[in-house]
Amino acid sequence: MNPRPTHDGSDPSREPGRAPGSDPSRRTALSLAATAGLTAALGALPAFTASAAPRRPADTPPLTGTAHDQLWWQAPGDEGSLIEQGLPVGNGRLGALASNDPGRELLLITDATMWTGGLNDILDADGQFPYGRGDFGSFTLLARLTVDIPDHDLSGVNGYRRTLDLAQGLVTSSYVRSGVTYRRQVFASHPDDAIVLHFTQSGGGHYTGTLTLGGTHGEKPSNAESFGASFPGGLRYGAAVTAYGSGGRVRVNGTRIDFSGCADLTVVVSGGTNYVPDAERAYRDPSLDPEKLARTKVRAAARHSADTLRRTHIADYRGRYEKFTLSLGTSTDAQRSLDTWERLTARARDGVPDPELEAAYLQYSRYLMISGSRDSLPLNLQGLWLDGNDPDWMGDYHTDINIQMNYWMADRAGLSSCFDAFADYCLAQLPSWTEVTHDRFNDPRNRYRNSTGKVGGWAVAFSTNIHGGSGWWWHPAGNAWLSNSLYEHYEYTRSRAYLAKIYPLLKGACEFWEARLITTTLPGTSKEVLIDDSDWSPEHGPQDAKGNTYSQELVWALFGNFAAAAAELKKDTGYAEAITSLREKLYLPEVSPKSGWLQEWMSPDNLGETTHRHLSPLIGLFPGDRIRPDGSTPKEIVDGATALLTARGMNSFGWANAWRALCWARLKNADKAYQLIANNLRPSIDGSNGTAFNLFDIYEVEKGRGIFQIDANFGTPAAISEMLLYSRPGHLELLPALPDAWAAAGSVTGLAARGGFVVDLRWKRGVPTSVRIHSVGGHTTTVAHGGTSRTIRLAPGESRTLKGLAR
Amino acid sequence: MRSSSYPLMPVRGLRTVVVLALAVGFATAVPAAQAQPGGNKATPASPTGPAAVAAKPYMGWTSWSMQSSKYPGLNPDGDYSYLTEANVLKQTDAMAAKLKKYGYEYVNIDAGWWRDYAWTPEFDEYGRQKADPVRFPSGMKSVADHIHSKGLKAGIYLPVGLEKEAYGGGKVPIWNAEGCTTADIVHDDLRTTNGWDSAYKIDFSNPCAQKYIDSQARLFADWGYDFLKLDGVGPGSFKSGDNYDNVADVAAWQKAIAATGRPIHLELSWSLDIGHAADWKKHSNGWRIDTDVECYCNTLVSWENSVDDRWSDAPAWTRHAGPGGWNDLDSLDVGNGEMDGLTKAERQSYATLWAIAKSPLYTGDDLTRLDSYGLSLLTNREVIAVNQGGNAPAQPVTPSDPQQVWAAKNSDGTYTVALFNLADKPASVTADWSTLGFTGKAAVRDLWNHESLGSHQDRITEALPAHGSRLFTVTPRGDALTWTGIEAESSANTLSGNASVADCPACSDGHKVGNLYTGGKLTLNNVLVDKAGTYQIKVAYISGDARSVAVSVGGGGATSHAFPSTGDWSTVSSVHVPVALKAGSNTITFDSGSGYAPDIDRIDVPKSS
Repeated sequence: MNPRPTHDGSDPSREPGRAPGSDPSRRTALSLAATAGLTAALGALPAFTASAAPRRPADTPPLTGTAHDQLWWQAPGDEGSLIEQGLPVGNGRLGALASNDPGRELLLITDATMWTGGLNDILDADGQFPYGRGDFGSFTLLARLTVDIPDHDLSGVNGYRRTLDLAQGLVTSSYVRSGVTYRRQVFASHPDDAIVLHFTQSGGGHYTGTLTLGGTHGEKPSNAESFGASFPGGLRYGAAVTAYGSGGRVRVNGTRIDFSGCADLTVVVSGGTNYVPDAERAYRDPSLDPEKLARTKVRAAARHSADTLRRTHIADYRGRYEKFTLSLGTSTDAQRSLDTWERLTARARDGVPDPELEAAYLQYSRYLMISGSRDSLPLNLQGLWLDGNDPDWMGDYHTDINIQMNYWMADRAGLSSCFDAFADYCLAQLPSWTEVTHDRFNDPRNRYRNSTGKVGGWAVAFSTNIHGGSGWWWHPAGNAWLSNSLYEHYEYTRSRAYLAKIYPLLKGACEFWEARLITTTLPGTSKEVLIDDSDWSPEHGPQDAKGNTYSQELVWALFGNFAAAAAELKKDTGYAEAITSLREKLYLPEVSPKSGWLQEWMSPDNLGETTHRHLSPLIGLFPGDRIRPDGSTPKEIVDGATALLTARGMNSFGWANAWRALCWARLKNADKAYQLIANNLRPSIDGSNGTAFNLFDIYEVEKGRGIFQIDANFGTPAAISEMLLYSRPGHLELLPALPDAWAAAGSVTGLAARGGFVVDLRWKRGVPTSVRIHSVGGHTTTVAHGGTSRTIRLAPGESRTLKGLAR
Repeated sequence: MRSSSYPLMPVRGLRTVVVLALAVGFATAVPAAQAQPGGNKATPASPTGPAAVAAKPYMGWTSWSMQSSKYPGLNPDGDYSYLTEANVLKQTDAMAAKLKKYGYEYVNIDAGWWRDYAWTPEFDEYGRQKADPVRFPSGMKSVADHIHSKGLKAGIYLPVGLEKEAYGGGKVPIWNAEGCTTADIVHDDLRTTNGWDSAYKIDFSNPCAQKYIDSQARLFADWGYDFLKLDGVGPGSFKSGDNYDNVADVAAWQKAIAATGRPIHLELSWSLDIGHAADWKKHSNGWRIDTDVECYCNTLVSWENSVDDRWSDAPAWTRHAGPGGWNDLDSLDVGNGEMDGLTKAERQSYATLWAIAKSPLYTGDDLTRLDSYGLSLLTNREVIAVNQGGNAPAQPVTPSDPQQVWAAKNSDGTYTVALFNLADKPASVTADWSTLGFTGKAAVRDLWNHESLGSHQDRITEALPAHGSRLFTVTPRGDALTWTGIEAESSANTLSGNASVADCPACSDGHKVGNLYTGGKLTLNNVLVDKAGTYQIKVAYISGDARSVAVSVGGGGATSHAFPSTGDWSTVSSVHVPVALKAGSNTITFDSGSGYAPDIDRIDVPKSS
């Protein structure tokens, strides 16, 4: 009965993850008015809107973070290396990669809603969607900011150092030039809705140079302080900057701002678009002038000192960051003496675990999540960060692993509130997805159309944009995977309000499958089963197979989740029963008598590549939870899944390794899970698979060409958490796959469990020494470790410390 | 120069084609030449002529960079037309005004002074090159006189061999050689020579041949020239084989110059065969180790074509440099960023390598248009002192990454240390004092920025831009490092695959481990250290060409390290490789993998990390 006064979630009736009164957005009359009519349906209004004066803490309480909450480097990035060497900042919507070059600070600025393209609902001749930057559209850069300080050329400064303080959300660089220490901080403030650069020095130095803000789409500069333009698709965008200093002069000079002799300098930049997450308004607010709003925002922020802006930001940021702590053990002094890039290099070269680095990798993903997923659109293939206008695969939302993986760690690692962007996005797209599905899915040219001739609910393609549109090929089971991902958030939070919010998505997906499933008789039996129509196991094998494991597993889970949701919300009882009876008839995969693998297709043959990146047929192992190595699943199935996972191999790239690690964690194979994490921590050299200098995950698509895809940055930490805790509603297992590297001693706080609990855990020599379970909505659960199991009952808001779980 | 077309090709477009073809051919031509196991002993360079010539790497200016460039406006009358009397005098005056006081001395006229704008050569009645009256209306002597009047020295140029157009059916008399004609000085079959096959190979078995060279030298001496660049010399200049062996030509020139009584610096070009280093040292004052630095493009040079090749090509030559003869890395075109085609960082790195390698420092920039940064690079007295002082050229000590450290131990106990980041993006570069041979503290002086950076414990790390550099003088204040040596051939080691012990007179204890190819491995079984840590082990090796080897500890992950060529298969060099060792006994493996690794002589492990 230990109440946890500092822990979020003591009130299970409120919206998940939102500390009352701590959300500074949407405060003005304007935004409240705009929000009021939509809140019930959407829950949030992720748009560039006016915001009231933020709450400004008088003082910042001391930090509780440990040394591994800081990453550091000894080199900056440059124009050509930003995707590997730029440090990301972001306030959830507005982001940037910063070079931190002493002589030329460069920020490539992004907004989650900055997209070309449109609805894209005219199908190609093959019944599929166009997939170009003009029609489907692409995530793209908003602005480019440079601060040139010619006297501070990198070749003439000493002791350059650069840190990313994960605990406070601050990027700091410093160097010595002619005996003067110069320091520069960059942060993206959610309360002030702006990015702030603060240049200071000690030792009698000064700053003289030029700053320039401009667009990256050929906009003609008209003045130094702002710009605005629009895309053919109708999206308007704009950005603004202002600068102020002391001890010198700052003045506008044509299309740039000159500063000279400044003892310190503060630069504030903001920007956005007129995107609104509202299908009714075709996702645009014609009344919004983003350039003007950006000017208003930077002027409002510039009324405050950089110290005040920073303090405001840190207080806001820490409110989220401190919900989760992690120690995986102690690194050596020699490891600690290395900078982050040297540490990655040494870890791979020497093959020696570096537990603090590994824990920091997870905390870095939390930094990315807080920076990239708040009150706007969700994290896309590149998260919120770009180094050019034309990202690979449009920087879009890929619905066959990538967007789902982006959110696998949010709940687990104490960032439930960051999940909302994902749910709100799907909800805002739903009317459009439904309409396009109704009008287009059964197009006779679409090879994936329903042979039943019926169509219901909604579906998406492999890619989705922000305009209600899809791109590339139809992806029938994508709706089920999205729905299951959203439902899982409910399992963590137990927020009934949230469940009610996403219910239309679940129901629409069920309606789609109700219309689509076809009946077949299993060969050699009289058993009739329901199977998926012609479909493609994602990106693998035949493109016209029926009853693929991927779809069967996802639909099986979807129908179960829907029935549970309907029961919880006491809605649609009859329909839920109908869905449940369909579920009972769903075909579920078998083990191939030829290969011993769980079948990916309704065939004993291997119809694809043995080591294919996707683990689609293992989706029932992870993220699904049908295949369990606990005796409840037939051994044959677990063995078949294990054999298939083994065959898929250990040497893929980013997200594919992360997914493999999670599957091995579910199978309680700590060594393999850890090895895959280690594989992703290998330094990316010349575009090779692995972790870049700035810890972005790089996927080598061809020799020498690596692409940043952020999914592994979230999937890999999700594997770390899954190795520490397995959960399903009513059952928790502690340290199910703890590798030797982390066994000596460790601790975690704020680790969330499905079923509505949060776990604080300490361990030594591989066994739990202290466990505290806190309910954020859950009531009863077993807590197991090894052969020991206990059942506890808690009321929401209650906590209990358990002893005696050590074997 | 490398690539102007000596064959009769008056059409400008065709010349361009030839230039490109030659540039492409380079990639395959040079390794073949360098792969020859050379038998040269390292011998001190022997100065030709009076000792004053090439006592230090020469400093000056050359016309070729601007002649060879497509930069707008430089060559208004066709390719290579920048070379005129007016331009040479203009550059002379600019050099005298801006650079002379820093040591710049030579004004060197490159190819074409005897050719018209259509590139047709002109000769006197003795088959000797004659100034083109349009380019040099006052004649070559007048130009030299003007250069001398500014207190500077004059340089001139010739291709090696008897130019085909000078042959005159074999009937052209040789000056001051009774009875000798051009027919007497070449082979009967008129075999051709030089990098462009633009000349008939001279047959020095006939005494008339030396007379011809004497007559040319006499002319240059009479005109007052102080420097001759002999171009297209082989083996080298992308050529090998008997017809392109110009050692006799070079020796004849040395003799002819001596006979004039005038000190004339003899410089050889281009990509000279390192297997003949002893010949070049014996008979000349400098030799181009590489292809042209110029890009033959819209700028004077570019980083990739071919400034950056020097970091991999210079190390094999380092030991051959010394008073009387220097490794010539080619023009130093860092004076005007826009015209050079390089970033500031690239220009500084370019100047740094040239300075520490003790290459001649001659720029090909327009000296009337140096930008302030370029002027600061060309006139940094601390950097020039490294190049012109009495200390040895620097060698790479950690060359296996794009982040490299080069160093030279100086006679006063200090070290010249350069950090390079050859990667295309910024990186930190660390110089560990242990790779220099000492531990503890050291004082660091930043030469480019004229700043003392105070005392640094064990190492210095700096952030470098893409293609960037730093240049320091490091003064040790600590202790000499002690090492534990392990011979590769020790019976305690394990050899696998084809690896075998071989005799090696240059190696410590007279043996090495070779045949490290396609799976060949050398494992040192008992590397003892007291403390766990990352150690910079010193690897003494032999490799006639640049090779890589994968190094691993305790059977863990291997890291591939690239070792520069040592120049031949009988010279030992050493580099440092970082390895993480645990306290106690370790194994270190050198694995050739699927390729060819260097021969290993010995490993030295520092007694402290």
